[in-house]
Amino acid sequence: MGKQITEMLKGTLDGIVLALLAESPAYGYEITARLRDQGFAEIVEGTVYALLVRLEQKGLVDVEKAPSEKGPPRKVYSLNTRGSAHLEEFWTTWSFLVERLERLREGETR
Amino acid sequence: MNKIIEKVVGDLGDKRRWRQYKARVKELPEPYRATCSAVERYAMYFSGITNGNTMMTMLDNLIDLFEEHAADGTPIRQIVGEDPVEFAETFLANYSQDHWIAKERRRLQESIRKAAGETS
Repeated sequence: MGKQITEMLKGTLDGIVLALLAESPAYGYEITARLRDQGFAEIVEGTVYALLVRLEQKGLVDVEKAPSEKGPPRKVYSLNTRGSAHLEEFWTTWSFLVERLERLREGETR
Repeated sequence: MNKIIEKVVGDLGDKRRWRQYKARVKELPEPYRATCSAVERYAMYFSGITNGNTMMTMLDNLIDLFEEHAADGTPIRQIVGEDPVEFAETFLANYSQDHWIAKERRRLQESIRKAAGETS
């Protein structure tokens, strides 16, 4: 898997993170932890952070600063209306891709 | 390096932000300081961001990341991964609207549009 999964994830990670945020708002490190729990072991904090900055720039998430016991205030990310719409579009695109790829694979074994 | 910064960070407000950023880096414990400086250096050489304000936003976001993880004691590799270039590129991509290449991308699209006889 290795390199291939890294390449494939690039296009889908935005959607995956939006899907996680749809469950509940979260801090950056919580998102990384949830991703790791789900088997995306190679994903690092920096990448998730860069992604969250991008989602914020695109206006798909809302950000609130919460004070932290140690260190600087933490950013809490939550999905907003535009983010929800984007996530819906992501799932539609995803279904399309999966369906096409499955068709290709079936053709291969026939 | 400082001369490059002076050139790019022309605005007074940006200069103040640059000094604030530098002060924050100084406060970082190791190995976070060394890591942050290394990514900063890479960003200066390869990002091609020509807008001082965009560059300061990028650096502010960078220092935010390392301050947070310095407080948590997150292992360096867990922040930047096995391939720090990959991380740096992903991180820098967010500020690409001001890359010098962005102008050339638009020019290329425009040229091809003309060549193909399309009206824009």
